[in-house]
Amino acid sequence: MRRDFRRRDRGTVFHGLVVLLALTALALVAAPTGRVEAAEEDKIVLALERDQDNMDPHMHFQRVGILMNINMYDSLLHKTPKLQYDPSLATEWRAIDDTTWEFKLRQGVKFHNGDAFSAEDVKFSIERVIDPATKSPQYGNIRAIKAVKIIDDYTVHLITDGPFPLLLERMVFFPIIPKKHFEKVGAQAFAESAPVGTGPYKFVEWKRDQYLHLERFEGHWRGPAPIKTFIIRVIPETSTQIAELKTGGVDIVRNLPPDLMPDLKAHPGTYVSAAPILRTHYVALDMRHPPFDKKEVRQAANYAIDRQAVIDKLMGGLGRIVPTVINPMAFGYDPTVEAYGYDPKKAKELLAQAGYPKGVDITLHTGFGHAWGRQLGEAIADMLTQVGLRTSLRIWDPGPAWNKFFQGEGKATNGFYGSWGYYSTFDADAILHPLYHTEPGGWVGKWYTRVPGLDALIDEARSTVDREKRLATYSKIQRLIKEEAPSIFLWYQYDMLGINRRIDYEARGDEWIWVYDAKLKK
Amino acid sequence: MTAVLVRRLIRLIVVCFGISLVTFLLMHLSGDPVSMILPEATEADRAVLREQLGLNRPLIVQYGSFIGRVMQGDFGQSFFHRTPALPLVLERMPTTLLLTFFALSLAVATAIPAGILTAVKRYSWIDHLATITVLLGQSMPVFWTGIMLMLLFAVTWGLFPASGWESWQATVLPAVTLGTFQAPLFLRMSRSSMLEVLGLDYVQTARAKGVPEWWVITKHGLKNAAIPIVTVIGLQFGVLLGGAVVTETVFAIPGTGRLIVRAIGQLDFPVVQAGVMVLSLSIVIVNFAVDLIYLYLNPQVRIS
Repeated sequence: MRRDFRRRDRGTVFHGLVVLLALTALALVAAPTGRVEAAEEDKIVLALERDQDNMDPHMHFQRVGILMNINMYDSLLHKTPKLQYDPSLATEWRAIDDTTWEFKLRQGVKFHNGDAFSAEDVKFSIERVIDPATKSPQYGNIRAIKAVKIIDDYTVHLITDGPFPLLLERMVFFPIIPKKHFEKVGAQAFAESAPVGTGPYKFVEWKRDQYLHLERFEGHWRGPAPIKTFIIRVIPETSTQIAELKTGGVDIVRNLPPDLMPDLKAHPGTYVSAAPILRTHYVALDMRHPPFDKKEVRQAANYAIDRQAVIDKLMGGLGRIVPTVINPMAFGYDPTVEAYGYDPKKAKELLAQAGYPKGVDITLHTGFGHAWGRQLGEAIADMLTQVGLRTSLRIWDPGPAWNKFFQGEGKATNGFYGSWGYYSTFDADAILHPLYHTEPGGWVGKWYTRVPGLDALIDEARSTVDREKRLATYSKIQRLIKEEAPSIFLWYQYDMLGINRRIDYEARGDEWIWVYDAKLKK
Repeated sequence: MTAVLVRRLIRLIVVCFGISLVTFLLMHLSGDPVSMILPEATEADRAVLREQLGLNRPLIVQYGSFIGRVMQGDFGQSFFHRTPALPLVLERMPTTLLLTFFALSLAVATAIPAGILTAVKRYSWIDHLATITVLLGQSMPVFWTGIMLMLLFAVTWGLFPASGWESWQATVLPAVTLGTFQAPLFLRMSRSSMLEVLGLDYVQTARAKGVPEWWVITKHGLKNAAIPIVTVIGLQFGVLLGGAVVTETVFAIPGTGRLIVRAIGQLDFPVVQAGVMVLSLSIVIVNFAVDLIYLYLNPQVRIS
């Protein structure tokens, strides 16, 4: 009897195994590889590390949101891949005087819902953002605009409270939304389920934290985009993004870490496209406290860094040294100002002159979210330590702790290593003001920077639209900050895209991914 | 029986209250959400928003009004998503629970039979193999297992999608990843528990009576050995939910864990509070269910 049970038992196990194997085989046969699916379709899939908070283009302040919005909404101006101004919803523009700009608007443009675009929509969009009651995070970008005057259906005047040289730059990403539609559906529906613009792609479906599905707008004034469907997938992990790129689940991945680039270059299904961008790296120094209250110590720190070695070894060669924090692509850059060289001997001498012959202990902080930024921070700390600025590096996760510690209270002494992307505004003011101006509403400057006369020069350059005058002032500023060294000036980086070979696209200098320019390879 | 239920219910209320207080205090101590919402605004603009959100009031007043609203099921509007926080969390809860359930089922379905087998075939090659598997499984962090499985099964062999949650194929790798993390513990527990039970007198008596071996193992052995195993499974549910956060991030799954982690980064108080409360409640409820299973498995509990 016992034997019978055992035999039956073995039989059950055997049958169980057969069923299990059959199921596994079925799963393997039925499982899609993704590669075939993507390659056959007229679509492009972009991976982003996080989702936008909402689809209202005026109610966020994030790079991922900008990347989604630029393809759904048009602004008054656009930029070519070579970063020159290109007409978009405005066909002509001119400064009438120091505080009035005239824009002639494109006629015959339709919104995705069929409404006609006119000056009313421009006035509505701008007034909405400059009204403090809207609480738009972009308020600071255009708060200099005092009024919008409609001259006729296709002409508007923007009136600023003083000369505002950044106006054209700000109008490159300032999406125009339809007044009538917005008033009909309300702010919440517009942000969640009914966004409408004039851009090359129109909204189909948004599954928060999963994907945004857009389809090309056949009635776009430039003509329909070459690729029909545009999907943005939210994939937080870089390694997962790369795995999806290799298997054909996504077509474009951005912010590639340099150590993964050779792998993607060698992979038969992918290629890498890189372009220099405005994102400029620096170590902001706390000039209020020793040892960086002394100019010699700040200069010593600048001589301590072997910038080219970092660019070559840790950035895969995709970076360029900057003499100060002004990026060569930004208006105001003075090519005659030379960068600090790598001179550890001179750094030690300067430290001794400043009263630190045996060196000094300092703490630097960094809030980079990716491992690559942290490696760069460690390299900088090591180079500083070698000349006698014995650095302990504190690495913070980006988010509340860093925000409270640094932005809220300015306690991050003796300095911090960070990068600034200029909000894709190609003007020196876009970094000088946040980094060095000491006004209370400012960013880093109010805590750290104490360079006599610098505030006045920054104000002078932003209060005239005369390009020559501005260039002269920025030249003065670059010489001043090179000498005073309120930061360790480092390098600017490249935007690095990993792209599926079936797509033809090139990285842009403004970190935009403008899908209208992407094509399927035949 | 009723007394047990009432006692559990009271404990549940106290636990929820405690969780709400700790979450509330931790979030408020970690920074000012207004500086995250309006990064470039002036201090005056920020003060206006702070007042509108009620963040300028004393903490105790804020907590009081928070509890008052929570009693009515209102956790407030998400600062960033601009929609009510609770539906936002509930919308994602099925995904997280499903992932946890798949992983748990997979772990239980593989580890418990393996545990029994290693107990029965003690010191055999099967037992040694299982010991090595346990060691390996417990040494591998969830994110690493996930990335390795993805590299092998998605990138190299192209058998499953690398990420997402749109098809049943996409659920396989995340469930295996999370299950791999838990299975070794269940295997170890069921092995030691079975070994203990199989050595007891009543089992020997059953064998002496000529009861078939598989019947001895499943009916006499397993039912008694199951009590500690069920306890561990119940306790591990919470750990699995924690592991689900990592798995959701690695495989880009739109679950509650990922929502909460992102909300913490943005200091989105309402979402964090609603999310932590819902997850805690589900853990408390699972443990309550475990208590009920005890009643079935062990008559002594019923009597006491």
